[in-house]
Amino acid sequence: MTAQRTLDVSRLPDHSISSEAPLWWGQMLLAAIEGTMFAILIAMYFYYRLSVDVWPPRPTELPPVLLPTIVLVLLIVSCLGSYRASEAAKADDRGGMSRGLLFNLGFGLAAMLARGFEWAALPFTWAADIHGSLVWTILALHTLDVAADLIFTAVLLVLLRRGYHGPRQRLGVHVDSVVWYFLVLIWIPLYIVIYWGPRLVGAPR
Amino acid sequence: MIPLVETSRELDEEQERGTLERAWRHPGGFVGWCSYTTHQAIGMRYIVTAFLFLLAGGVEALLMRLQLARPENGFLGPDRYNQIFTTHGSTMMFLFAVPMMEGMGIYLVPLMLGTRNVAFPRLNAFGYWMYLIGGLFLYWGVFTNTAPDVGWFAYPPLSGPQFGIGKRVDFWAQMITFTEISALCVATELIATILKMRAPGMSLNRIPLFCWAMLVQSFMVIFAMPAVMLASNIFLLTDRTVGTHFTNPAEGGDPLLYQHVFWFFGHPEVYIIFIPALGMVSSIVDTHTRRAIFGYPAMVLSMAATGFIGFGLWVHHMFATGLPQIGEAYFTAASMMIAITSGVQIFCWLATMWSGRIRMTAAMHFVFGFVAIFVLGGLTGVMLASIPIDLQVHDTFFVVAHFHYVLIGGALFPLFGAFHHWFPKFTGRMIGETAGKATFWLLFTGFNLTFFPMHILGLKGMTRRIYTYQPEMGWGPANLLASVGAFVILFGGLLFLANVIRSRRHGLPAGADPWASGTLEWAADSPPANYNFVYLPVVPGRYPLWTDPKQRGLVTGVRADRREVLVTTIMDAAPHHRYPLPGPSIWPLLTAAGVSAGLIWAVYQFSGYYPAIALGTAGLIGWFWPRTPAGDER
Amino acid sequence: MSRRRTLPAISALLLSACAGPQQSSLNSAGPQAGHTESLWWVFLGILSLIFIAVLGVMLAALARRHPEFEPASPERTATAADRTGRRLTRAVAAATIATVAILFFLLVASVSTGKTIAGLASPSSSLTIEVTGNQWWWYVRYLDDNPQRIAVTANEIHIPVGRPVQIRGTSQDVIHSFWVPGLNGKRDLIPSHITTEWIQADRPGRLRGQCAEFCGLQHARMALWVVAEPESQFEAWLDRQRQPAVPPSDADTQAGYQVFMSHACVLCHNIAGTPAQGQVAPDLTHLAGRMTIAAGTLPNNKGTLGGWILDPQSVKPGNHMATISLKPGELQPLLDYLGSLQ
Repeated sequence: MTAQRTLDVSRLPDHSISSEAPLWWGQMLLAAIEGTMFAILIAMYFYYRLSVDVWPPRPTELPPVLLPTIVLVLLIVSCLGSYRASEAAKADDRGGMSRGLLFNLGFGLAAMLARGFEWAALPFTWAADIHGSLVWTILALHTLDVAADLIFTAVLLVLLRRGYHGPRQRLGVHVDSVVWYFLVLIWIPLYIVIYWGPRLVGAPR
Repeated sequence: MIPLVETSRELDEEQERGTLERAWRHPGGFVGWCSYTTHQAIGMRYIVTAFLFLLAGGVEALLMRLQLARPENGFLGPDRYNQIFTTHGSTMMFLFAVPMMEGMGIYLVPLMLGTRNVAFPRLNAFGYWMYLIGGLFLYWGVFTNTAPDVGWFAYPPLSGPQFGIGKRVDFWAQMITFTEISALCVATELIATILKMRAPGMSLNRIPLFCWAMLVQSFMVIFAMPAVMLASNIFLLTDRTVGTHFTNPAEGGDPLLYQHVFWFFGHPEVYIIFIPALGMVSSIVDTHTRRAIFGYPAMVLSMAATGFIGFGLWVHHMFATGLPQIGEAYFTAASMMIAITSGVQIFCWLATMWSGRIRMTAAMHFVFGFVAIFVLGGLTGVMLASIPIDLQVHDTFFVVAHFHYVLIGGALFPLFGAFHHWFPKFTGRMIGETAGKATFWLLFTGFNLTFFPMHILGLKGMTRRIYTYQPEMGWGPANLLASVGAFVILFGGLLFLANVIRSRRHGLPAGADPWASGTLEWAADSPPANYNFVYLPVVPGRYPLWTDPKQRGLVTGVRADRREVLVTTIMDAAPHHRYPLPGPSIWPLLTAAGVSAGLIWAVYQFSGYYPAIALGTAGLIGWFWPRTPAGDER
Repeated sequence: MSRRRTLPAISALLLSACAGPQQSSLNSAGPQAGHTESLWWVFLGILSLIFIAVLGVMLAALARRHPEFEPASPERTATAADRTGRRLTRAVAAATIATVAILFFLLVASVSTGKTIAGLASPSSSLTIEVTGNQWWWYVRYLDDNPQRIAVTANEIHIPVGRPVQIRGTSQDVIHSFWVPGLNGKRDLIPSHITTEWIQADRPGRLRGQCAEFCGLQHARMALWVVAEPESQFEAWLDRQRQPAVPPSDADTQAGYQVFMSHACVLCHNIAGTPAQGQVAPDLTHLAGRMTIAAGTLPNNKGTLGGWILDPQSVKPGNHMATISLKPGELQPLLDYLGSLQ
């Protein structure tokens, strides 16, 4: 039979804990989807804001800024855990992955707790006026995404503890960080728009 | 350059095939059928389901045409008519056009790229179930007098809490959620597949034009769908069910912003439908003119440009809303500019046909029909881009004519051409050519009879979305002609169905490559095995099957005893690592069922979102929970 | 029949007998629509030529070669796959450049037409008409600085020939669209927004318009009439609209007046100078002078009006007018009274 030209790939690894993995791209696309959604929400926020003089519309008070700032700081710090876990995943360092995820989970949950307090203390509901509708919607969607990611992180941690630390789980730990970074990063402009925008560029109250 | 090794080792194809058969075997039984994750199965499910929705939408169209055939007709009252035209538009846009294009993509892209499956097989299955459930949900509304009745774009305040009666609009809004989730799943996996799972040697400039089309379309879905999610879910659903104020002017809301957000999605949506069809035309034309498509770089760039510019046109749907003139003029320019990118595609195809050897198969008939109809529609689009002209013909039957010309001409005709072209690949048999050509002539004639008169009706003042009109308006004869044409279309559709059924049983056996085509899908069996290729190919050029067989190569070393694929680099498709894909799984269906139950509950009570989230999370945990100890699938 | 009743009767006859009210964009009665119509013919001419050219090239390509099916040989198509052809490249490039040039020309034509039309606005004109869309009728108010000279009517607009008129539009409920093709393009009527456009009639006549944004069950039956008349006739009409309703003068109309005032009609309709001061339905003060009833649905005469009052749902199913139950002998006097409201 005629000689067949071949390309032998048997020596290639059967996993890649890096941005070459299709799953990494899948997570980036998820971030793109969520990012687009938040970008549109920001545009909507300004559309509504720019068509009135006073914002938030009277008699709504400004949302307080202390707790959200604590949330922001906790979220940013939690990224350190993500980074640790993600690097450990590349190096197949089980202990490092566990510790990183635990750190991330801890600070993430603390951030959610702080947000819970913030939410309970918000001086307006979603039905108060357009400002309330916007702030609640943005908060709810962001919290939903964060909660989903934290659950995913917790499950990964459980799997690691139970001895599942093969390439699939390591890849999971690595790509989990992609979405987490995105969720924290997107919160920065949202935080500025919601809590500082009205304070910096608003009509005197 | 991919280093190919001349090996004297004979490849034991029989053994490899046997091993692959075992690894890729479909599970049996009903539960097994619900667990399929192969792209051919899921793709075909999308195609068949979308075709059934096409028929449903067609029935709705026929009902509308029956009502409008005569002035002051009493066949349908206003409430029923309003539900029917809304359902017709929503079905065609959300339940037929986008899912059909996605189904064709899911089926063909892995074959054309030289891989075995899409990157995320279970996500693929999940997306299909969400689509199916969403479509059935809408039709449950149709049959319980809860069909939406506010037009497929559902403008508030008509669709808002004050004027949108009952749950009709909520059904519409949640159907959007289902279909958007489905589309986003497909887009995600297609992008990951096209970027990362191409056969070695298939560098970016060798990717088939259909795959480029699906890549562009998928990116458009990623950036456009979130807008309609927001429009339907927060402008409508939350305003209607929990009292938010997005459309309530009394508390700072604005119904006009809904239009901006909706059309920011809505305009790209039509290109999301249209661009895959461009890819199909390229595949048909190169095969049936026996030459490569002329101007490959221009074709790729113009598709990408169309996708990009398509995001900057949306205000042309809103010229009548009194926005500032300077801003509106920008949208005129952009809306005209996109004719250039589409024009480049047409010119390149004409150049290909001019210099090729045309084989007038049924598929090519549909390509010719596409050019004629789509170009006419595109030219009326240039008219609509002009603000003064648009302000006269907007919201009249002129626009109805325009969008049917571009959508049916630009998407449906290529799709029918694609059915006739790829039928041998899907089924292993040739489709009846004579019947296929007759189908074309019936559809072409019927289409023009139905929709050309509508241009004139619009110019004579007939507005859209009216259930009747007065005899003295003089619109009767053209409407009657249009209604007759609709039945000619029906006959064309029935002939097509008959041809498909007959050819499946009695068509000539096709073999792998009946058309002597150039792209990789024709190297697989007809129909393809679940694993597509015994050995993954190495690609030496744009048209692998048209290159010297001595230049081609095969990949060895990808494991056949599990569902493994080869991941390659983005630019040059150099092999990077092997990757095991998941096998059959019931979790996508379970997750979809749980999420769907919650979403449907949420239509009646907003708190239904909590079970949606909880069940979705539980489903995902089961989905990703490792099967084997230590998570190792070796 | 008095002269006052002749006009509606004749117009009713005309409406039903003639070839049909023109609602065409290509039959302009004013400068705005006229400029648009000219632009339309330019576009149609140029774009038709393009269509014929593209179709011609396609058919010529088809005619060039039409061989029987033959499988392609790999060597032959290998060169074909790489062939670009300089002539073809030049042809495609030329076609693309021509496309750009033609589109640019059309863009300039369109923008300049738009500017010309906008330039027809005339802030010094003293006639501004406020149109408010309702489901499924048009509330019309002639504005004036002097509140005594504001006139309210419904579904029928009169304008003086030759004078630019500003339409200021909004909506009471959902989005509607004001559109009289013979005069100008459409303008959406959006709740909480005010949209404006300018119309001007160059000659006397009657022009039909229709709501052009889907607004619910009776969107199909929400038409309006614009009557363009010489300045003096217009002023006389407007003056009459400013007056309160003609008081009932004989036994018949007095009885009809009583019928009206003692039924639910007064909750929705307004008849100036009477206790009927409802604001959610068309103003009836000068109903008898209008050509049509129910927003252009029926010609205005006793028969149609009687049918409408007795059963509005059969004419416009889903519309918001309640069905009034009248005792025998109440309808005729009511119609007499309404017919007296010139």
